[in-house]
Amino acid sequence: MIAVSTQDLGWKYAGRNNFAIEHVNLEIEENTFTSIVGPNEHGKTTLVSCIKGLIPNSFNGVWRGKVEIFGKDTREISAQTLANEIGFVFADPEAQFTSMTVEEELVFGLENIGLPLNEIKDRLEWVTNITLVSDLLDKPPYEISGGQKQRVAIASVLAMKPRIIILDEPTSMLDPLGKDFIFDILTNLKKEQDLTIIVIEHNIEQVAPLSDQIILMYKGNIAKMAPPATFFEDSEFLYEQGINPPMATTFLDQLKRNKLYDGGLPVNLDDAIRAAESLLKPNGYRKGTS
Amino acid sequence: MTDERLIEVSDLVFSYPDGTLALRNISLDIYANQFIAFIGQNGSGKTTIAKCLNGLLKPNSGYVKIDNLDTREKGATKKIVTKVGYVFQNPDHQLFNNTIYKEIAYGPRNIGLDEKEVDERVREAANVCGVEESIFQEHPFFLTKGLRQRVSIASILAMRPRTIIVDEPTTGQDLRQSFEVMNFLRNLWEKEGHTIIIITHEMPIVAQYTQRVVALAKGNVLLDGTTREVFAQPELLAQTFVKPPQITRLAQALSKYGIPKDILTVQEMYDAFVIAQGKTSS
Repeated sequence: MIAVSTQDLGWKYAGRNNFAIEHVNLEIEENTFTSIVGPNEHGKTTLVSCIKGLIPNSFNGVWRGKVEIFGKDTREISAQTLANEIGFVFADPEAQFTSMTVEEELVFGLENIGLPLNEIKDRLEWVTNITLVSDLLDKPPYEISGGQKQRVAIASVLAMKPRIIILDEPTSMLDPLGKDFIFDILTNLKKEQDLTIIVIEHNIEQVAPLSDQIILMYKGNIAKMAPPATFFEDSEFLYEQGINPPMATTFLDQLKRNKLYDGGLPVNLDDAIRAAESLLKPNGYRKGTS
Repeated sequence: MTDERLIEVSDLVFSYPDGTLALRNISLDIYANQFIAFIGQNGSGKTTIAKCLNGLLKPNSGYVKIDNLDTREKGATKKIVTKVGYVFQNPDHQLFNNTIYKEIAYGPRNIGLDEKEVDERVREAANVCGVEESIFQEHPFFLTKGLRQRVSIASILAMRPRTIIVDEPTTGQDLRQSFEVMNFLRNLWEKEGHTIIIITHEMPIVAQYTQRVVALAKGNVLLDGTTREVFAQPELLAQTFVKPPQITRLAQALSKYGIPKDILTVQEMYDAFVIAQGKTSS
């Protein structure tokens, strides 16, 4: 089933001359991992805001085209339903906290929707494991680090069991350890049944190996949409659009251009090591295969 | 690079008023016209040491000397601002005047320069930073982040410090914006002869631009050497949760085939690979 589709989607913020996004057509299959990449100010956040319904509900402007969530036009379903279906995690988690402890933060939404106590306990245990926050439960949200806050923000969104979760640059403000934690969580999320994941991310090296498809937004349009194995072909084009493929991928692409390698383009380090190794082993260089 | 020492740090210990011991025992020298990266996990002491280098924080024991001036000396702070500049990670924490001109002029006015000299310095610093005079009367708030950052660097440059510390210049920026600010800093280093210190988590940026890396862990200097030497020691770097750039890690995994462990760029990797392959296939 298609989780998200847009048809000729366009949006112009009130007071602006140009459309922030225009003629956007995409389909996201349910239970897949989609990453959205591209330079700042080229429409990534506007696109996910349209999918989430923040646009047009909370903004003024001009809307064109259509967004469908599980086959339903978002303008024909209630804001409440849309909120239940789609969870949203911001780059700055600070804005989302209201409680005195992390645990209270996580159960707040669950109590609010009237879940029975045992169900609340089950969900708490489930999200705690996925988002690696068990050692934080009794801490006040304002006392934990930025990376820990981001984990709690993801946990509180996930606890509501949305069918789609959107994360807008979840790692951009974090240090390397904090980033690694978030990518571990994304890896866990990918294993969940019935969860469609959409991530806006600049860290291509870490997000590409997780992705089923990568969407490049450029000047408000989709400039490229492909699975990672083919997305990084034509690195010159990507570079012009402000995208650097992972360094190991760029290296193998360069070998390929010079007819020193003819296999597929790996997008993670382990695959790249294997590919390069096969060329370096004695007699590994298959002459004449170019 | 010359051997002229600009900053001397000796047995520096610093703890915050709440008792957190941020720097345990740091000794290092900063020389003229170096391009340095301070790297390490959050909490490793990167920003604290930067603030000790510009006299914002004073050592509990040991000393920091800038041009032989001890930062704890009376009246030192006023002299240091003309020697070491510190650019905040978030330009919005630094910019507070209502025009770009006033922002850049603030420092020079504060040290009591006359208006003619102030004007000269504002124009010079703005010119170096690519801040056009036509926008001098605009409010910094309405500029793009990249331009706000250049205005905050200009306001530091107007003090004509030889050392400029920039805290996380590329955080939250996309690829093109990152290259733009880093090329600009490289220009200050190469053409203007400044010593540049960046505090950063972006290892590909470190590999591409800097010549020296100081890796900090738990308030100590874990590694201090050329960028190449430091990234060639992944096991030590792991103590502060830093990984060398991906291409360096690829090279290290292939070292048994004769690929050097201190590769920093894709081009270097390509060249080394072709040589290694020539050896194994012949």
